[in-house]
Amino acid sequence: MSDPVDAARLSELPLDDLVACHECDLLMRKPELAHGEKALCPRCGYELYAHRHNVVQRSLALVIAALLLYVPANFLPIMELNLLGQSSKDTVWSGVVALFDTGMQSVSVIVFLCSMGIPLLKLLCQLAVLLSIRFDIGRSYGLLLYRIYHHLRDWGMLEVYLMGVLVAFVKLADMAAISVGLGLVCFISLLLVQVGLEVVMSPHQIWQALSGEDAHAGD
Amino acid sequence: MRAIDAGILICAECHELNNQDADSDEQVCTRCGALVHARRPNSLVRTWALLITAAILYIPANVLPIMTINSLGKGAPSTIMSGVIDLVHYGMFPIAAVVFIASILVPTFKLVGIGLLLFSIQRRQPLSARQRIWMYRFIEFIGRWSMLDIFVIAILVAVVNFGRLASIEANLGAIAFASVVILTMLAAVSFDPRLIWDNTESDDDHD
Repeated sequence: MSDPVDAARLSELPLDDLVACHECDLLMRKPELAHGEKALCPRCGYELYAHRHNVVQRSLALVIAALLLYVPANFLPIMELNLLGQSSKDTVWSGVVALFDTGMQSVSVIVFLCSMGIPLLKLLCQLAVLLSIRFDIGRSYGLLLYRIYHHLRDWGMLEVYLMGVLVAFVKLADMAAISVGLGLVCFISLLLVQVGLEVVMSPHQIWQALSGEDAHAGD
Repeated sequence: MRAIDAGILICAECHELNNQDADSDEQVCTRCGALVHARRPNSLVRTWALLITAAILYIPANVLPIMTINSLGKGAPSTIMSGVIDLVHYGMFPIAAVVFIASILVPTFKLVGIGLLLFSIQRRQPLSARQRIWMYRFIEFIGRWSMLDIFVIAILVAVVNFGRLASIEANLGAIAFASVVILTMLAAVSFDPRLIWDNTESDDDHD
């Protein structure tokens, strides 16, 4: 508020010409962005919004790829262990089941949600939102689902799980013979696709397209 | 200037701007229909409550064993710290460092860091806004990584399953530890970062 004259002018502008930082509440004039540019808050550095090409089409491709990878990533063996002639396999799902069976139901539910349940729900929400924009149906549900998606975001922890696999490898290395399973390859691919999706699916453009403010925001 | 001074509310979910309606207590966003508030209601109290609960559970999480390794009839309980020490004994220093950071340093840093953030906002001291926002972002980003040990336990319990020869079971410490991680993540979510900037001097305020 160094310049009160400017401040007074700012609050008189229509809302459409303004943008406010979500993290520090600074009010600014809305900048015009070209494709591939992004706007950062000058005070706290938070990314206000980005403008990307073909958001809906590219995101749809990635969501479908991720959903195809989801089943093999969670149900094919991540590693196989051999100990004195006995072998055992580990999948993401079998970890959940094993915890449940040994009486750690609460931990098992947490592991299930963070590594399988929430990542799947996130993908399904994204798919529904993108289809709703693409075919112009059920926009109000799309808005609700996209809100749910934003609440779920922090709780999907695929990358942490991958690090857990690495730590488990090291811990088991001198106890038994380990081999890597196909499930791990699918799991890493799923993780990479999901990271790509986070980058491509720019929330600002999705909100605009969903609410019908700018029907071509996602093109 | 701040949006709150201009009578504009930012939707917490879709970031749409809404003109503040002076008459209504429960205003909803014109775009996405979520409740909009100038600041999250009771943000500081809720964050304190979650933080204190997490701090209490932090003790059993570190003292109780998180898993027991049974091998040939002998059971060896293992706490978080002893897991790290074992890795050091095997000579796996990089992985030991990762586990030490994720399971010991990060939860401790989060408890202290969120406490410091809350304290510095309520007392208007002793951190600058810029230090606070970096601390907040770091805590928000790093929080999830503490789940590492819980996932490791899930994998080990599933794969080391050879009956009397060798097996691993999870123990109560794992529940306490998972609760600490989730409670501190919830504390970071319930904290409203806009409070960081509300009571700082406006010298680094760009209009």
